[in-house]
Amino acid sequence: MNGSPLPPRAVADAGIDSAAENAAARRLAAHRRARLCASLLVLASQIALLAAFIAFWEYMTAFDKQAAFMFGSPSAIAGFLLTMASDGSLWRDTYVTGVETLLGFLVGNVIGTLIGLSLWYSRFVSRVIEPFVIALGSIPIIALAPIIIIWFGTGLTSKIAMSTLSVVIVALVTSYKGAVGVDADQINLMRTLGASKFQIFRKLVVPASLTDIFAGFKLTVGFALIGAIVGEFMSSSEGLGHAIFKAGSLYIIPKVFAALVATIALALVLTFIVGKVEKLLMPWRRLG
Amino acid sequence: MSAVVSPAIAAGARPPAQAGAPPLVVAHVAKSFDADGRVVPVIGDLSLTLNEGEIVAIVGPSGCGKTTLLNTLCGLIAPDSGRVSWFGREMSGQPAGVGYMLQKDLLLPWRTALRNVMLGLEIRGVSLSEAEERAHVMLDQLGLHGFADHYPTTLSGGMRQRVALARTLVNEPDVLLLDEPFAALDFQTKLLIESDTAKLVRESRRSVLLITHDIEEAVSIADRVIVLSKRPTRVKAIYDIALGTERTDMIAARESAGFVDYVRRIWADLDVTRN
Ligand SMILES: Nc1ncnc2c1ncn2[C@@H]1O[C@H](COP(=O)(O)OP(=O)(O)OP(=O)(O)O)[C@@H](O)[C@H]1O
Ligand SMILES: [Mg+2]
Repeated sequence: MNGSPLPPRAVADAGIDSAAENAAARRLAAHRRARLCASLLVLASQIALLAAFIAFWEYMTAFDKQAAFMFGSPSAIAGFLLTMASDGSLWRDTYVTGVETLLGFLVGNVIGTLIGLSLWYSRFVSRVIEPFVIALGSIPIIALAPIIIIWFGTGLTSKIAMSTLSVVIVALVTSYKGAVGVDADQINLMRTLGASKFQIFRKLVVPASLTDIFAGFKLTVGFALIGAIVGEFMSSSEGLGHAIFKAGSLYIIPKVFAALVATIALALVLTFIVGKVEKLLMPWRRLG
Repeated sequence: MSAVVSPAIAAGARPPAQAGAPPLVVAHVAKSFDADGRVVPVIGDLSLTLNEGEIVAIVGPSGCGKTTLLNTLCGLIAPDSGRVSWFGREMSGQPAGVGYMLQKDLLLPWRTALRNVMLGLEIRGVSLSEAEERAHVMLDQLGLHGFADHYPTTLSGGMRQRVALARTLVNEPDVLLLDEPFAALDFQTKLLIESDTAKLVRESRRSVLLITHDIEEAVSIADRVIVLSKRPTRVKAIYDIALGTERTDMIAARESAGFVDYVRRIWADLDVTRN
């Protein structure tokens, strides 16, 4: 502004006095404690539920050899986990599957998100390719496994390819949905501020789509893992999928479950990391 | 931040103004919409002029096409016929030096108040440090000192609307188009923000076209009030407001002698049953 500036006024429409503020601070602390108690209660209930399930399982299989063979038993599973941990195969298999999953997740999401977002640029192109995307999305990935192995061999690459394929369409669709869902008024605002199409994309569409993109990330952690494991089922010499397949074909049920436990742990860790990155990248989401 | 500058809208680049031409002349503009294959005429035949340093308020029945008019004026939609001239030049594309503010604050939730205010400057390629400096000054002037680093979700409705106003004013537009920007505010906040806006606008001799549902707001802030008819809309009446008070204090304006009379007459004009 060119004219003489008005003196800065203190706080706009926020009446604050200190006694009330103290009371409010106490209320806030009480509120926080209550919320913490509530989440502890939820956690305790979850642990209790799990413990009850494991105890029931152990009890049902403890005196029945047939059942123990068919369903394994928690103690046998724990035993296998210990042996696999001490002979190193647990870490080796988890590492291999983890790498496959992570690379498939990253490659699939990067490609899918880039295509999905850039489709915002052209309604024409997106309308042209829409049926093809739907068609590709409806192919069960497992049906592609034999071809993938012919194309990419039996090594790491074919597992990453399987994992990528499981992820890419979902990532494309979620990010495209986010991009076209941007408020038309917000786009008009950018236009009246003189923004070019690229500036609208860069400063509005991409950040506004982050919520949907991360929803896609959370969904595709599981898909990436499934892709990697299915790839390992087909042909492999290591990895959790390999361990599950081998133990299964030898009828060592508790070992199947042991590898499955490791798989679940892997999925949880990856989901946790995605959640942390989301919070880091979108600090405004923690507020309000 | 990217420093992409499109040459046409680089800082300050405006089409050479014709000397003495009023900031905005609207001549016989008409606009229809296509609703399910049926043509709905929204703006009938509308002409108006906005002079330099003038605040003009537009009131009209709901749905008569006020927002459509503003969208046309700032190049978001094209009129079917008629001419829109900014500073004596016929409009092509987005007019430069025009700030548009809507009822919704449209703040970007991932930007702090300061970065929201900086948006237009960033788009025009103003350096980051200068943009920051100017945004800070603007926020201070609107009484938001100390709230620069707040995200919109942590601000009250009145504060958010102030940030939106700061985002518009920081670009130093010659003309402001305001579409019911104060409608969602409570009465006190509304009077305060109206007064601040009037002060900032009047002291720098900017021109304002203000759309409002609130006849008292129109009379207290504007030099001229234009009453629009129902759809297809035309100018129904024009009132030159002479209140004889300082026109930057909305409370004084509302207490001045002629105020109630203007409000009554405009109210009668707007009355749907008399159309
Ligand atoms: N893109 C569009 N397509 C079809 N009809 C539209 C479109 N935009 C607006 N209209 C119609 O044009 C009319 C005028 O709309 P507009 O938003 O300009 O009214 P307004 O005077 O701003 O109303 P309000 O006072 O409620 O804000 C409405 O009947 C609306 O339904
Ligand atoms: Mg409107």
